[in-house]
Parts: sequence; C-alpha cells; structure tokens
Amino acid sequence: MFLTRSEYDRGVNTFSPEGRLFQVEYAIEAIKLGSTAIGICTSEGVVLAVEKRITSPLMEPTTIEKIVEVDKHIGCAVSGLMADSRTMIDRARVECQNHWFVYNENMSVESCAQAVSNLAIQFGDSDDDGAAMSRPFGVAILFAGIDEKGPQLYHMDPSGTFVQFDAKAIGSGSEGAQQSLQEVYHRSMTLSEATTAALTILKQVMEEKLNSSNVEVMTMTPAQMFHMFTKEQVEEVISKLS
Amino acid sequence: MSLVQPEMRPHYPDYATAPTQHHFSPYADNGGSVVAIAGDDFVVIGADTRLSAGFSIYTRDQNKLFRLSDTTVLGCSGCWCDTLTLTRILTARMQMYQQEHNKVMTTPACAQMLSTMLYYKRFFPYYISNILVGLDNEGKGCVYSYDPIGHCEKATYRAGGSAGALLQPLLDNQIGLKNMQNVGDSKLSLERALAVLKDVFISAAERDIFTGDSILINVITKDGIQDYSFQLRKD
Repeated sequence: MFLTRSEYDRGVNTFSPEGRLFQVEYAIEAIKLGSTAIGICTSEGVVLAVEKRITSPLMEPTTIEKIVEVDKHIGCAVSGLMADSRTMIDRARVECQNHWFVYNENMSVESCAQAVSNLAIQFGDSDDDGAAMSRPFGVAILFAGIDEKGPQLYHMDPSGTFVQFDAKAIGSGSEGAQQSLQEVYHRSMTLSEATTAALTILKQVMEEKLNSSNVEVMTMTPAQMFHMFTKEQVEEVISKLS
Repeated sequence: MSLVQPEMRPHYPDYATAPTQHHFSPYADNGGSVVAIAGDDFVVIGADTRLSAGFSIYTRDQNKLFRLSDTTVLGCSGCWCDTLTLTRILTARMQMYQQEHNKVMTTPACAQMLSTMLYYKRFFPYYISNILVGLDNEGKGCVYSYDPIGHCEKATYRAGGSAGALLQPLLDNQIGLKNMQNVGDSKLSLERALAVLKDVFISAAERDIFTGDSILINVITKDGIQDYSFQLRKD
C-alpha cells in the first residue's frame, strides 16, 4: 500500500484501510509540540506542575494560564493548543456546575473527564445547527481532583480517551518525564515529595532554565482543595531541588 | 355573472348568539396521605392505600410508596396520573445516573434532583405532594418534603397529602415534642416511630374520607428496606 497517508488523512470521518483515523493521530502528535505538564497523585492529594514557554522577554508570563480551576474540587493542566483548551475547560466548568445544581453534590473527577470526552469526540459532527468542530481538539488534559474516592488524577488525549493515572506527563518532554516518573513514583509518596519530584523532572526535561516565573504548580488536597502556588512558594520548592 | 355561487359561500359562526365556553381540567385529586418519621439510623414512611376521586373509591389497595434505590423511597399523593409519570421519569433518571457515574444516587442527591425536576414544570406542575425519605451519606435517617413546584425542605418528620394538615400538628406534638413540659429529649426508637405512625393514620382515617382502607409502611435501615402493612377502617 502506498500513499496511504496522503489519501486518507484529510477527512476526520474517514478510516484508512488499516482502520486508522489519521487526523486524530496527528492531533495526538500535536500534543508533543506543547509544553510539558506533569501530574502526580498521592494519598495526601494531587500535584500538577507545568512549564510555561516564555518566548520573549517582553512577554508577561503571568498571562499564560496552563493550570486552571474547574470547580473547587477539580483543577486541570493542559498542553497543546491553548485556544482549544478554553472550550474544553468551559465545558468542564459548566458540567460541574450543572451537576451541583441538579444533584447538590460535587461531580466526580471521572464524570468530569467523561463530560469533556463527550465534547472531544464531537468533531466531524454536523446537524441542523450547522457543523460543530471540524477537527479534533489539539489538547491533552490532566484532571486533578478530590472526590468521594479520594485524590484522583485522570489524563485525556485528543481522541477523547481518558484513563486514571498515579503519575502522568504530557507535552514535549512527556516521554523522558514519564520514564522518570516511573522510577520515582511509589504509593507511599507524600505530597511534598511529589511536588519536589514533579519539579525535578520538569527541570530535567525543560529547555530553558527552570525558575519561579516559567513554571506553574498547583496542589489539590482535601483540606485546601485547589491551591495555586505563589511565586514565593514555587521559589521555596525550587531552592530545595538538587 | 358572479364568480362565487351563493351556495359556495363559506360558513361563518353566528356571532349573534352567546359564545359557549369549554373547560378542560387536567388535574384530578385522588387523595391519599403520606407520613414519614426519621430516627438516628432509620427512617419509616407510610402511605394509605385508598385511591379515590370524590365520593368514589377506585381501589382500596394502591401502593403509593416508590422504591428508588436500596436507601431511598418516595411517597406520593395527589393527582395519580402525575404520580405515575413522575415516578417513571425518576426511575429512569436513577438508572441513567447509575450508568453515567458508576454509583447509586444518594438520598440527598435524589432530593435535589427531584426539586429541580419539579421546578422544571413550574408552569404546568405535577400536582403531587411528595415526601422523599432515605439514609444520608452518614447513614442517618432523613425526610425531604416538597410542594408541587419543587420547594424542598429537610425535616425529621412530615405528614403530607389529603390529611397532611390534620396530621402535622399531631406529629409536632408526639415526635417533635412541641408545647410539652417536663419531657426529656430521649432518642426516638423505631418501635415508637412505628407506633405513632399507625396511630396518626388511624386518626386520619376517622376524619378524612380520602384516607383509609390500609397503610403500607417501609422501614429503611442500613440492612435494607422492610415492608409492613396495617389495616385501617374501610368506610
């Protein structure tokens, strides 16, 4: 079979003869161009750490937001096309609020991931309202949250597949970072150990030198829920790195 | 020659006579009463089994308690057709929730959902007096009562339906120990709750023609739901 890709990689609704959807696969590739994000789930809580690419010294680093709050008990880190991620985060927030409105309870992290997944696979759909998304979202998301099952970490890719993880890295440095995570992760990890580990690994895979303005760190704990590290708190963790 | 023949002229109503009015009443009052009493680790709910319309009785043996889950029961009285529809939708929503979220809906979640479902029919309400009972997330008994448009109130005891206004003050006195002097705050036992429940229904059957025949009782504990029945006067 020759020229397979150029024949079958245009439409998102067309399988290739080998049974692949190339646009979806390309979207997954697009994540590997994004900035690195790391999530580690411990029994005390979940930590998310992301790198922010400061492409110009004239850029205001605080306006890059890669970790956001979805609800009080769920936060997420994104990598890939930031503009696409806005749509997905919006959906996650709406679904969480709707769940609270109807059931007066916090939405579970899995259900939140499921809701966003439903949006992620709507590409190619079109009905009387007109075409929806014409392509898959170029975003991978790490959901960190606390629900009745305790601290949870979920990863979702552009195909809408979501899986629970103990520790997961996405973005350009994900391959190396995932390898390192496998080496350092253990079940009895404390949250501060996990925070240090996340930043150590981020430091290894980042091209620029890691400092308090080009990373974002968030912890999700039963006591504090969504907590974004201040610049000082990030510096404190960095100072402890070897 | 005229194009319109006289016999082809359309027929218009005669506006000279007075207009006739047609009435449509979509609701029926089928009577029935529901009483629920919660304790620390149990909750009991009872409903009479008479289904009536005015002076005629449709059946003396109608269950008005709906088991929504292993820890949640809904008691309905009012318009029976609305009850049938509401409980079918509720059952469906319970199943959808279970499949969507991989867990059984808790009683507090169900209570909130019922409130929103009722309010969504704000301008053509289900004409039902609902009382939802179950165990909360800590295993404590809880009672939620509703008005037809979804206002929800959490309580420890409640009477609703045709004899609701008759029975609530009785419960206030016997269970809530209101307007009583020198009473200790002893914990309510299941035996006492069941005894009061039967007594208030006997009283209701004496004064309310829409309540009678018998009652069905559900007792919810952590071990499950038990059914009991109890005969009332049939006249």
